[in-house]
Amino acid sequence: MAEILVIEEAVTFAAGDGTHPVTRELCHAADDIARRTGHEWASLEVALPEALLRDPAAFGEAIAEASRDSWLVMMGSTSLGRDVMARAAGLLQVPLAQDCTAYSVTDGSPTFTRPLYGGKVLVDVQLKSRPMLATFRPRALPAFDGVARVLKHVACRSPTSPVVQVDVCAARVGRTLGVTEADVVVSGGRGMVGPDNWHILEELVSVLGPRATLACSRPVSDEGWRPRAEHVGQTGQAIAPDVYIACGISGAIQHVAGITGSKCIIAINRDADAPIFKVADYGIVGDLFEVVPALTQAIRAFGDS
Amino acid sequence: MKIAVCIKQTPDTEARILVAPSGCSIEEAGLTWIISPHDESALEQALQIRDRCQGRVTAVALGPARVKQALREALAMGADEALHLPCDAMPADAAVTAAALAQALAPRTFDLILTGEQSIDQAGSQVPQRLAVALGWPCVTAVEGLEVDGNSVNAERPREQAEETVRFELPAVVGINRRIGEPRYPSFRGIMKAKRKPIGVAVVTLDEEAMVRVRMRAPKAKKQGVVGAYGSGIEDTVAALLAGAAKV
Repeated sequence: MAEILVIEEAVTFAAGDGTHPVTRELCHAADDIARRTGHEWASLEVALPEALLRDPAAFGEAIAEASRDSWLVMMGSTSLGRDVMARAAGLLQVPLAQDCTAYSVTDGSPTFTRPLYGGKVLVDVQLKSRPMLATFRPRALPAFDGVARVLKHVACRSPTSPVVQVDVCAARVGRTLGVTEADVVVSGGRGMVGPDNWHILEELVSVLGPRATLACSRPVSDEGWRPRAEHVGQTGQAIAPDVYIACGISGAIQHVAGITGSKCIIAINRDADAPIFKVADYGIVGDLFEVVPALTQAIRAFGDS
Repeated sequence: MKIAVCIKQTPDTEARILVAPSGCSIEEAGLTWIISPHDESALEQALQIRDRCQGRVTAVALGPARVKQALREALAMGADEALHLPCDAMPADAAVTAAALAQALAPRTFDLILTGEQSIDQAGSQVPQRLAVALGWPCVTAVEGLEVDGNSVNAERPREQAEETVRFELPAVVGINRRIGEPRYPSFRGIMKAKRKPIGVAVVTLDEEAMVRVRMRAPKAKKQGVVGAYGSGIEDTVAALLAGAAKV
């Protein structure tokens, strides 16, 4: 096995099967760190029996087996990635820098940056262990544009006795993009008034192209207006899109914690004093039921001209 | 059924957090402390299971003397007993936290250990899996729905890829997400009763931390954006920017 390993996560998109886009971002980090420290790196596909694919204990065990002689092991900070890397770290009895957003290299060793307290503070940590384990938040790093060496590890565990039995009750087959993966995220809050008004956000998403998707604030998912998977914030998902458009979201500190990684924040709200305007790069004070359709119309006009 | 709930005391989600002059910790003076929200929902689940299936709920917290307040709140919500694992300062490395919890929990033969999938301060998402490794138990985390029937458990766990239902047997460690449901408020009677309940103490030794904090710092302050009323022309700027982002 290589000294630096990137653990791949298999995913299914509308377009077909592949690896999670965060894998290419980790390959960028692996390639960069490898050059600066004189290590070799590879991307690792973990091959598990079908029955164990979704069992983090089996996946974590396989990572631990494959990485015993490695120097640095990285995976995406996705729901599965955080789970299996915590398992692997427990088995290897090493620390894990979870949900990192940046790294640096000094004197041949990496320092990892993680947000604490919902992003109110950043901490730089070093790991005094071999291997060093880290997960990185999707979209925090640039994507690798080279060709990765891909290794395969076949898990030792027999498929006969899963510790937990995982049933998929609703696979998101044919789904477009998850909130953590999209370039542009259009998000609705309590100001949307009710679940029947979401078509105006869907229309905005549709003119913004295939890399755009929908999200929502916590009260919206609590009310059941939108699926829980779309909830962005301190107790939901932390995202880092190129553009985040907050529609009718007041900007409670718990919500803002989940969106500070966004490169550009656009807020639309009736209330000029809403805290969301403090973190917005562009703010439109107005009735979202007027503003959003007008924006959709204007963007469509750009396409036609 | 004997249920342990590991709770962490964290600063309130609304709190302003300042880095201490040492650069490796935060200023604790003047902070309002709460039970970490995911842990609080884990406690709520434990109380509901106990009320349905009989048994006892033990709230467990590692930390300096201030965490006894969090245990007192857990008792007020309805926990049967509380166990304090004293230490001078909270570990920065989740491996150390989990090892300390495992020391106290392993000899006490619990059937089920519940905790938040992550704390809202360190957000490491590690303690449930590490505890399970230490105890040799199964672990299911990021759980948003939980049904216990005798020794069998059904848990709902949403992944980016699919909504999953996970079936497993007790004993087990379960990491709960706040979205499973809001916790109850302590009743006046609960608060009064909690004052009389003793808080047990378990002495644990903390391992040396292999994750070292080099520096804590505030993120770069964001420069004030452009805000304008609809109709002032700001909407044209935004539309042009979005058309660019969408490459229309």
